[in-house]
Amino acid sequence: MSATLLNAVWQGLIILVGGTFLGMIYKGLDRKLAAQMQGRIGPPLRQPFFDVVKLMVKENVVPDHAVAWLFNLMPLVSLAAVGTLLFYLPLGGFEPLLGGFGDLILILYLLAVPSLAMVLGGFAAGSPFATVGAQRELVMMMAYEFPLAITLLSLGWYLSSVMPGAQVFSLTVLASNPLWGLVGPLGFIGLLLLFCALMIVTPAELTKIPFDIPEAETEIAGGILAEYSGRNMAMFYLADAIKMVVMGSLTVALFFPYGLSGLLGVTGGIWGSVIDVAFYLVKVFVVIFFAVIVVRVAFARLKIGQAARLFWLPITGISLLGMVLLMLDRIV
Amino acid sequence: MSGLSSGFGVWNPIAWALLFVGILVVSFIVRSFGNKGYKRGTGQTKVFLSGNDEPETSNGLHVRGDHLYWGMIDGLSAYYRRVKAWHTGILSDYAAWFVGVLGLVFVILVLAR
Repeated sequence: MSATLLNAVWQGLIILVGGTFLGMIYKGLDRKLAAQMQGRIGPPLRQPFFDVVKLMVKENVVPDHAVAWLFNLMPLVSLAAVGTLLFYLPLGGFEPLLGGFGDLILILYLLAVPSLAMVLGGFAAGSPFATVGAQRELVMMMAYEFPLAITLLSLGWYLSSVMPGAQVFSLTVLASNPLWGLVGPLGFIGLLLLFCALMIVTPAELTKIPFDIPEAETEIAGGILAEYSGRNMAMFYLADAIKMVVMGSLTVALFFPYGLSGLLGVTGGIWGSVIDVAFYLVKVFVVIFFAVIVVRVAFARLKIGQAARLFWLPITGISLLGMVLLMLDRIV
Repeated sequence: MSGLSSGFGVWNPIAWALLFVGILVVSFIVRSFGNKGYKRGTGQTKVFLSGNDEPETSNGLHVRGDHLYWGMIDGLSAYYRRVKAWHTGILSDYAAWFVGVLGLVFVILVLAR
């Protein structure tokens, strides 16, 4: 029993440290590639690590009118909540460590917790800019959660119609039964639409351009994070890095759970695992590249009203159409 | 450790809570290595407001419920304009809506059977 527990603790620490490290690397890649696309040199890949170290040695200012305990607690809650997500997702082709303790519905709820923590932190700052940022974040959440929920539920529903009685919202079941091979032509189009909806929700979940409206440096000086500095800011920074891995891994698990080792005839063993982990890293990078990096270089920031309209009308419409096509695929 | 099974998935709140507390403790330890000092009661602790004076807490920082929905109402203004027009404040109008929707649900239920 104690050996099992110790083993679980070690695995947990590896996931937590590994997920954070990966997130920082992807953050570095994001900045470097975005700079290259804009004709700049950009910072080195390890810049996010320097940033965290620098933030940790800077002063941790708490504004006069802030609710100090809430202001200080929320960065920790955000980091802890996003950290738990890593344990329910299949990372590197391996089964989730807590796959038997939580499913896709739990992930859907947990994705909201880091954002809510930021909102509470913003309100607790007692600053007009942070308050405006927190309000914007709430509106963003109300806007993108609906198409996200439709997308995730549609996938589970389709699998339940193909595999009655299966735990279809389990990430392990979803990742081991890719829907692309199960659907007909209508369902294929439906899946493509749902994938597009998830790719558009991803930068909103990560508060990246064009959906960085709650921060909007040029207008509200960082908004929700305007008053955060030092070690509190470092915690939000780490949470943001991990969330990037989470969103990339979620997309990969739902839409591209395929491994490469089988194709190369190296199933099982250490080399099979190495190939699958490397392939997983590439897949997560590709998702981040197209959903975050390219989008943030190509687009300008939307206004909050435009973002709310975008998610409630076209993106919800796209995800609903995807769901209907999946349903028709089962009927026709 | 058994969890709540929906037949389509499973959730174990105790496992999540333990994990959350564990990571919270790890995060707290990492955070405790950081600099905790700052200069209280100086300009440093005044909120950033583009160089403007800080408003009174009771006046400038009060967050009303409709503030939270502003972006939503603005973004979906065409929808809200129509819906607001339907909210006449006349009780008989609301009763008519209630009866109408009840009738519609009844028809749907009959057709579904």
